[in-house]
Amino acid sequence: MEVEPQETFLDVLKNRLKIKSVHRGCEEGECGACTVLLNGRPVCSCLILSPQVDGGEVLTLEGLNQNGEFHPLLTAFMENYAIQCGYCTPGMVMTAYYLLHHLTDFSDESIRKGLEGNLCRCTGYINILKAIKAAKKEKDSGCWW
Amino acid sequence: MITRERRILSGKGRFIDDLELPSMVHCVFIGSPYAHARIRKMDVSKALKNPGVLTVITGEELRQHTAPLPATSDFSGRPGWHWRAPEIYPLAVGKVRFHGEPVAAIVAETPRQALEAAGGIEIEYDPLPPVMDAVSAMEKNGPLVYEEWGDNVQLHTVFNFGDVERAFREADRVLKFPWHENRTSGFPLEARGCLSMYEPMTETLHTWGSYQCPFRAQHYISHVLRLPQTSVRVTASDIGGGFGNKINIWKYTVVCLAAMLTGRPVKWHESTREFFLTGPHQRDVVWDSEVAIKNDGRVLGIKARFIQDLGVEISNRDYSAPSIQAACSSVPNAYRLQGLKVEAYGIVTNKSFYGAYRGFGKDKGAKFMERIMDLVSRECNLNPAELRLKNFIQPQEFPYKQISGLVYDSGNYPAVLQEALKAAEVDSWKAKQEELRKEGKHIGIGMAFVVEPAGIAAPNARFSGLVQARVRVTPDGLVEIYSDRTEIGQGAEMTNTLVVSQILGAKPEDIVVKPVTSDIIGMGPISSRGAVYSVSALARAAKGLKEIIVKYASAFFKDRPENIRLENGAIYSSKNPENRLTYKELADRMYFRPGARGLPQEMQLNHETLLDVSASWFSPNSAENPTSTYTTFSSSADIAVVEVDTETGATRILKYVHVHDAGKIISREIVDGQIYGGIVQGIGEALSEELIYNEQGELSSGSYADFVMPTAVDAPDIVIKHLETPSPYTELGTKGMGESPIIGSKAVIISAIEDALSPFHILITEAPATREKVRRWIRHSTAG
Repeated sequence: MEVEPQETFLDVLKNRLKIKSVHRGCEEGECGACTVLLNGRPVCSCLILSPQVDGGEVLTLEGLNQNGEFHPLLTAFMENYAIQCGYCTPGMVMTAYYLLHHLTDFSDESIRKGLEGNLCRCTGYINILKAIKAAKKEKDSGCWW
Repeated sequence: MITRERRILSGKGRFIDDLELPSMVHCVFIGSPYAHARIRKMDVSKALKNPGVLTVITGEELRQHTAPLPATSDFSGRPGWHWRAPEIYPLAVGKVRFHGEPVAAIVAETPRQALEAAGGIEIEYDPLPPVMDAVSAMEKNGPLVYEEWGDNVQLHTVFNFGDVERAFREADRVLKFPWHENRTSGFPLEARGCLSMYEPMTETLHTWGSYQCPFRAQHYISHVLRLPQTSVRVTASDIGGGFGNKINIWKYTVVCLAAMLTGRPVKWHESTREFFLTGPHQRDVVWDSEVAIKNDGRVLGIKARFIQDLGVEISNRDYSAPSIQAACSSVPNAYRLQGLKVEAYGIVTNKSFYGAYRGFGKDKGAKFMERIMDLVSRECNLNPAELRLKNFIQPQEFPYKQISGLVYDSGNYPAVLQEALKAAEVDSWKAKQEELRKEGKHIGIGMAFVVEPAGIAAPNARFSGLVQARVRVTPDGLVEIYSDRTEIGQGAEMTNTLVVSQILGAKPEDIVVKPVTSDIIGMGPISSRGAVYSVSALARAAKGLKEIIVKYASAFFKDRPENIRLENGAIYSSKNPENRLTYKELADRMYFRPGARGLPQEMQLNHETLLDVSASWFSPNSAENPTSTYTTFSSSADIAVVEVDTETGATRILKYVHVHDAGKIISREIVDGQIYGGIVQGIGEALSEELIYNEQGELSSGSYADFVMPTAVDAPDIVIKHLETPSPYTELGTKGMGESPIIGSKAVIISAIEDALSPFHILITEAPATREKVRRWIRHSTAG
């Protein structure tokens, strides 16, 4: 597709590709609401100019929905009441997905540090932590994709 | 039906940013760079010529096309109240009064084109000295926010409850206590926004968006746009958090006007920066007080002066004026105070307006009282728990008529506090505190007890306590819920579903909670009233519908009503269980086969033929006790242990216990979620959040970079325990509880820090206790 040079990756995702899960937050890279995985790493899509994404691979929340089935991480979020208003949720889930694949230390402290770039105003983070630990159990027992 | 959570996780959210209509255009607001200035000249002709621009609206256009913003409260004529409301519009007319105040709205084909056109707006300002401090704003001969007022006092009254003179006569000692709370607010992750469209076919202005209270929004918009209320329809989209910050809809009216002027659907999604600049600000109160006590620790009475920094006003953009009364009448909190006299001032300054934020007003008195409890505890050398137990309203005294006029419905405060003490293992932490002090480490144990009044119905303030709920079984057997209880993330849809499911026996997946619109009368989810008013009305509607279903089934099965059971999506006879109808079968028969074996004659003659019941509810408490503007009173105890690093001033939370009594609980998980979230917000208020204006009146903390909200790292583990003392007033015994977590948490963290720093003899009289402040307090302390 053709993009304007000043369009951010967030603009492309939302305005051009109509990807609903990515949420427009502060647009200054502070809140993490617009987090997606770019080439496997979590990024604030609002901070990236669209030409920088050319040729890259993106994973959004929609990608964790396959044939109407939830990824086990999403089920964990649901079952642990980790969603209240839902605005931080997609960004939070993408960061959580990354952490589940890349953290070596799964202590509370380590998970919390990993979530530091995703603000949530509703949940107090506690159920999000529970959801990630529940998902880790699923992953370790092989119920994962 | 698919739940909202499932929908959002599937990427099918319907937040304002996701909404789209054909030929939609975009609205952008341009704000004042000055805190206080006259607008000498404004010329938008260049901007109008910019590519893609449809129109530019200024304050002058608003004066022609719309009514000034209505004062949503009116205390004029109330004896002893000095009150006034300014005549203002959403866009500045003649003068700007706060940094960022909107001066123009640009409507263009794309947001980018709208922003680019901003450069074409030529405005010349004559800056004026800004009024940036409420206390100095009270001085004579200073700058005036509204020249025609002659001073900066929007509100002044004296609250005189009980017998304060007697309290002071009988006192053994009088303590002084000043207390200042920081200016802060909620700032949910999604800012404000709406999509508005005028539909000529039905002559209706439709608007969808982040509306916390659609029915009230309909009234407000229709007033401003001079339309009959019946021509405006407001629908709440998915809302990314509210906390009271999205009750105000003054900017939304401009978007609605733009839709009418352009004939196109107009969308506006506010930036976070604008939300900070032009959003509802809160807290920011100064108390100066004298506290009359007995040597044994009984707190007899309080005299205080209370000053609330209202920013530009508390009357028109939001619905917040009653918060001053809520603040002063919440001072007695959980205690048997004999007398309270507060001289209260609401002072205008050149800051954004005073709005609603979780707590609203009743948070302030409670926090103030809890700080006083800490002071009394130290001055009388009394254990803080024993001090509270001594002053508590006792379980056998309910309903308790507090000196404020509020009638507390029920509670067991000693049980709640004892449970917290047990769970927190306070004694072992105290022993640890002693040990660690010897090593030069400082931990502190804090305590706070809060009574949360919920479910407001106040006169003269557009909080009249009206509510409607409707439950309908569709012809194909689904159950629809129509409620005023907008989902803002607090679990309204989930708990509404549970209430109806329990009463009707319908399966949760067959229950549809319809989007909340202005079609249903109700104040919306404010004042924690969801569990009070909305749920009570919903329960009444569901019970009414159940009666009709039972009548029909009883006739259809030829069985007695007492034997009819509603369970698991079916209606059956307990005597002959093979007599069974699913909801789908029941609906099909009742809607389409009212002949033989159809509706019983009695039901037809009584006109009880519809599977559709609408009901209302009003608080028996407020009805029987006109001074009791609140209905239910939940209670909670917070105990926290913190470690304060005296070198850096940093506070780390080591343990946090919260015991809660919110009456009958519908969903423990939902309540716990509210508690976790509210506590972390309160921690943010206690440690770091502050809206800071510099001397020029510019908001210097206008983004998440400077306004420091808690992250996952800052949130502690929280231990929660529940007690349930049902309310005698509500339909199901439920009590509102959404606000108490944010109240106790702020108080308890300050309390714990003060305890940690007790070797330095520091009395904490302000929040937030930032690192810098803690270091300063230690430096200036007399001991150590």
